[in-house]
Amino acid sequence: MPVETSLEAPIALGPFRLRVDPARAAAYAREIGADEASVPLAYPAVWLAEPELFAKVRELCASLDVVPVHESQSFAYESPLVAGESYDLSVTLNREEKPPRLTLAASIATPSGAPCGRIETMLRLVPRAGFGSGS
Amino acid sequence: MSAPINVGDRLPERVIGPFDAGALARYAEVSGDDNPLHLDDAVAAAIGLAAPPVHGMKLLAAFEPMLKAWRDDLVIAALGGKFVQPILRGETVTLSGRVLRASEQEIFVRLFAHGAARAPGVIGEATLRPAERRL
Repeated sequence: MPVETSLEAPIALGPFRLRVDPARAAAYAREIGADEASVPLAYPAVWLAEPELFAKVRELCASLDVVPVHESQSFAYESPLVAGESYDLSVTLNREEKPPRLTLAASIATPSGAPCGRIETMLRLVPRAGFGSGS
Repeated sequence: MSAPINVGDRLPERVIGPFDAGALARYAEVSGDDNPLHLDDAVAAAIGLAAPPVHGMKLLAAFEPMLKAWRDDLVIAALGGKFVQPILRGETVTLSGRVLRASEQEIFVRLFAHGAARAPGVIGEATLRPAERRL
């Protein structure tokens, strides 16, 4: 089994105050074939693409001349997200060298601090040459 | 729980797609993942793909309605997956799953999303709990 090495200290981002937009949650549900009665489990993927959050990832990838490729994703909940409510998203970025990878570990909490869930996103860092552009 | 769930039980398969360019564009817009790899034939061709790949997150998220349709007496506490290989625009996708662990408190399910290739495009997992319990 390959040894995974961490390059530097994790970077803490946030907390970001983000809202479950009801119209966007309903649109997201439609696009994944779900009913619109509840907020999709994967809805926080929308938050991860928020410019203020993803800017750090873009900046890091630009400095390394790599493209982030989505390798894995997970969501775990202690309580379901509610449309129209706001939550605080706190993110830790961790870069590994072998294999080259960026991990975003995020916690979701209510504004009063009650934990709601956790997200983990793994991005494989691929050399930009010959790849095009990344997400 | 109503009917018992046993290790080895198979979830009813669910067929989704094929997703056309419009579907990928709509997902890109609602999710914020506007990576041109999913939208631009030339970018996909540059890395040897015959067509743009469907967003892995769109496929992972599609397990939620499948799981809810399987057992409405359970709630999904966690959902995750690895994006193993691309499933391309225009491919029909088959979602399947099998129970790996089962107790009165928790059900653990292995999930697969298959496109045209023999190997799965997404290998996922979900943890479900009886609806009367909190997540």
